[in-house]
Amino acid sequence: MSEQKPRKAAEPKPPRSCGWMAEFSNEHDLLEASRKVRDAGYTKTDAFTPFPVHGIDEALGIKPTILPFIVLCAGLTGLFTALLMQWWMNGVDYKYIISAKPFGITPASIPVGFELTILFSAFTSVLGMLGLNGLPRFSNAIFTNPRFDRATDDKFFLYVDSRDRYYNRDSVRELLGSTQPESLDEVLEDASPTTLPRPIWLASLLLVLAGLIPAAIVLNMRAGFSDLPRWHVFFDMDFQPKKKPQQTTTIFADGRSMRPQVPGTVARGQLTEQDPFYLGWDPDKKVSAIDGEPKHFVSVQGGGQDAAVGAASPAPQDSATPTQPPADGAAAPMQPPADGGTAPALDLPWLERFPFEPSDADLKLGKTKFEIYCSACHGYSGYGDGLVSKRAASLLQDTWTPPTSLHADRVQKQPVGQIFHTISKGQGKMASYASSLTPKERWAIVLYVKALQRSRNAKIDDIPVEQRSNLTETK
Amino acid sequence: MATIASSYNPREIDNTNDIPGRRAPLITGNQTYSSVTEMVCRVAEDPQPKIWWLLFGFSTTTALMFVGLIGYLIYKGVGIWGNMNPVFWAWPIVNFVFWVGIGHAGTLISAILFLFRQNWRTSINRAAEAMTIFAVVCAGIYPGIHVGRAWLAFWLLPYPSLNLWMWPQFRSPLLWDVFAVGTYASTSLVFWYMGMIPDLATYRDRSKHPFRRMIYGVLCLGWTGSSRHWLVYEKAYTLLAALAAPLVLSVHTVVSFDFAVSQLPGWHTTIFPPYFVAGAIFSGFAMVVTLLVPMRKIYKLENLITLRHLDNMNKIILATGSLVGLAYGTEFFMAWYSGNQYEGFTFINRAFGPYWWAYWIMVTCNVISPQLFWFKWFRTNLVAMWVVSIFVNIGMWFERFVITVTSLSRDFLPSSWGYYRPTMFDGLMFFGSFGVFLTLFLLFCRYLPTIAISEVKGVMSSSEHAEHVQAELLGHAHGDDHGSHGHGHVSHGHS
Repeated sequence: MSEQKPRKAAEPKPPRSCGWMAEFSNEHDLLEASRKVRDAGYTKTDAFTPFPVHGIDEALGIKPTILPFIVLCAGLTGLFTALLMQWWMNGVDYKYIISAKPFGITPASIPVGFELTILFSAFTSVLGMLGLNGLPRFSNAIFTNPRFDRATDDKFFLYVDSRDRYYNRDSVRELLGSTQPESLDEVLEDASPTTLPRPIWLASLLLVLAGLIPAAIVLNMRAGFSDLPRWHVFFDMDFQPKKKPQQTTTIFADGRSMRPQVPGTVARGQLTEQDPFYLGWDPDKKVSAIDGEPKHFVSVQGGGQDAAVGAASPAPQDSATPTQPPADGAAAPMQPPADGGTAPALDLPWLERFPFEPSDADLKLGKTKFEIYCSACHGYSGYGDGLVSKRAASLLQDTWTPPTSLHADRVQKQPVGQIFHTISKGQGKMASYASSLTPKERWAIVLYVKALQRSRNAKIDDIPVEQRSNLTETK
Repeated sequence: MATIASSYNPREIDNTNDIPGRRAPLITGNQTYSSVTEMVCRVAEDPQPKIWWLLFGFSTTTALMFVGLIGYLIYKGVGIWGNMNPVFWAWPIVNFVFWVGIGHAGTLISAILFLFRQNWRTSINRAAEAMTIFAVVCAGIYPGIHVGRAWLAFWLLPYPSLNLWMWPQFRSPLLWDVFAVGTYASTSLVFWYMGMIPDLATYRDRSKHPFRRMIYGVLCLGWTGSSRHWLVYEKAYTLLAALAAPLVLSVHTVVSFDFAVSQLPGWHTTIFPPYFVAGAIFSGFAMVVTLLVPMRKIYKLENLITLRHLDNMNKIILATGSLVGLAYGTEFFMAWYSGNQYEGFTFINRAFGPYWWAYWIMVTCNVISPQLFWFKWFRTNLVAMWVVSIFVNIGMWFERFVITVTSLSRDFLPSSWGYYRPTMFDGLMFFGSFGVFLTLFLLFCRYLPTIAISEVKGVMSSSEHAEHVQAELLGHAHGDDHGSHGHGHVSHGHS
């Protein structure tokens, strides 16, 4: 029954009393004393034991905890989090099509749903236990008594707090003393500083700051801009020992990394390239070869008949007003002055006749497709005065190359196969229309262009006699 | 107190008998609450024995070698392993499943034996839980470095990659694995830590040095042993046990899905989940025996981890080992009974194909060697049980090797068959993972409470005649801790 007040002498002012603490050597004495204290009406009481003493809840009047309900809520939250996550990630935001399985919640969502239910519940059990117990709590008045060290070893303590409604220093002391404890001590306020020592505080701050450095570097590299080459921490597959198109190599004698087609072979999917219907020229007619390669291969690579667009003379820009059909051969000033003679024109055995029997339906198809795809630049009547051309000429007066008039002499002389080829492969600024138009549609356009050319250069003799009366004179 | 250890004499009392009414006590040597505290705390407070330093030197060297090899692997690429077409899932996955399986015993002991009120778990659960955490650490390393670009392993998480803005594929068992093993590792960690809080407070209160006192004080979060806290704590512990029990079963189930959900003969079977779980418990208990037999000797904990504890664990090894044997037989039966020629071939190939040696090592170690535990002599002889537990560890590694490699090396197309050969790096890295495991376990013994002190005391007190406990713990009249007395609390019951 020693009343130990270790800090009292050292302090100038006596520390506040927090309550009384009685020590017992076994749990049965503790339980008996607890019942006594409870029956006396004290509620701000507690027992400190090295292991959970059973029956203490009843002996002290401790209410059951609400932890299980908190954990239940957390578990349901985990389940719904998992299901929502899977539904949204794989069913809405980034749909994975796997074996025609439905999107959203499927039996495959069960494992992750189960695991997250457990994960949320388990962490809530532990954090909820700490929260309900007010832990961590490093400053506690009961630790001021050195005898209390044995509360985690083999001694049992009963404590009445001074904040209790019925607390009276002397009566509590008397009541606890009547339970025959091994010792009875007054618990005094812990006067030691409750703040973290400065060096520990500083060290923690430095550690936290140091921990932010890598994240800051990554963020800076992600969000910032730099003129320097990328910094390769991990090379991933950025530098691969392989050749890309148009690169040189020492492996082959010709120094090219791209390999030309082996003569006499047809590449997969390119059989149609042997058919005049798809080419506009006849590959069966002997083509003069250079270095064993078909001549057309070289000439197409060499720029084709671009120069033909340039035609004879670099016409002055003002000669072609946007509203008027440009003169044949209005060349872009950027292009080197060239005439048809200097640049290699395509010299292929062009088809002179359509590779099929044209019909009225083909002509109608050609008209439709021409008006959809060609008229925007070439104009409905083929003078190169389409809306795009007019607009471009007004905006880019110096640099715009107007489309060729389809009624230019040079174009009129072109065989049907060559026009087909121009539509299929493109020319100058004009892109290839092979991906937008089927070969049949391209041929239909050729047919329509031919009809258009004829109509614009028609003589009175071309019109059947019985229809001549329908003509009206125009200026 | 120095005489506690020397007072242990295995011949003095046989606490392994199963005669009803003569049930022997769980802990021996006339223990009191304070002697239990003393015995456990001394493990961390006394200077470590020479053998600790020897093992620690060896294990840290091995662990450092492992770290170095991982660095080399990341620098050079996974090509340093023997993984090659058609066996791309080779040792890394075998080692992953091996370690995850071992990691099942701890939580099983903590959770399932807790729910079944097996009081004998209190002496071994802490070490088994620690072993679980460390095994899961070793397991987690392997998928991380097997993904090839280990620095992008975080793509396993549901994280929209910065370049593609795409999410993981939630129908993949490999992703379920991330969630299952991640949940298991983190839940086991908090379970372990929460269980240690009261014992860390004991360590704190026994600390002489203020620095040591501060460290343990922070670690135990200011635990006082308040009864109000204990009540919430016990509720939380029960909840965690109830949550962890299905979790244990789910984890190896999901690991088995990695195999079973695929179409490969020998993998595509519905028996895999129970078969894997039984194997995991089997290997986990074997590893607990492997660790505890030397540990109780080195730290003189024979009075707490008694022969009865080891005897009980060996019975579980026998039961689960027989289950695993049954599963092997069932697999063979189904391969024949299904009439599926690929399945049939796979199993004939396992037993008599190019990997016959691995198959028969597996059968010998896993099915035959635990049958010795039918005999009490083997169950209670330290050397014998230690040897069998090592055999089981070897056998369970080979089980995963057989499943993974035989099915992959010979599947549907004979033209793409191959024979897998590991490289030096496979072997050294597997060896290195044992270094990591042992290092962590030795540090655990050195700094943390190796036995759940408060739980052992709770079992000691499970009697109304507590004043006689210290005198009567040895006596047969009282030592019988059948449920005839007490207050019906959770840690009470028979073992």
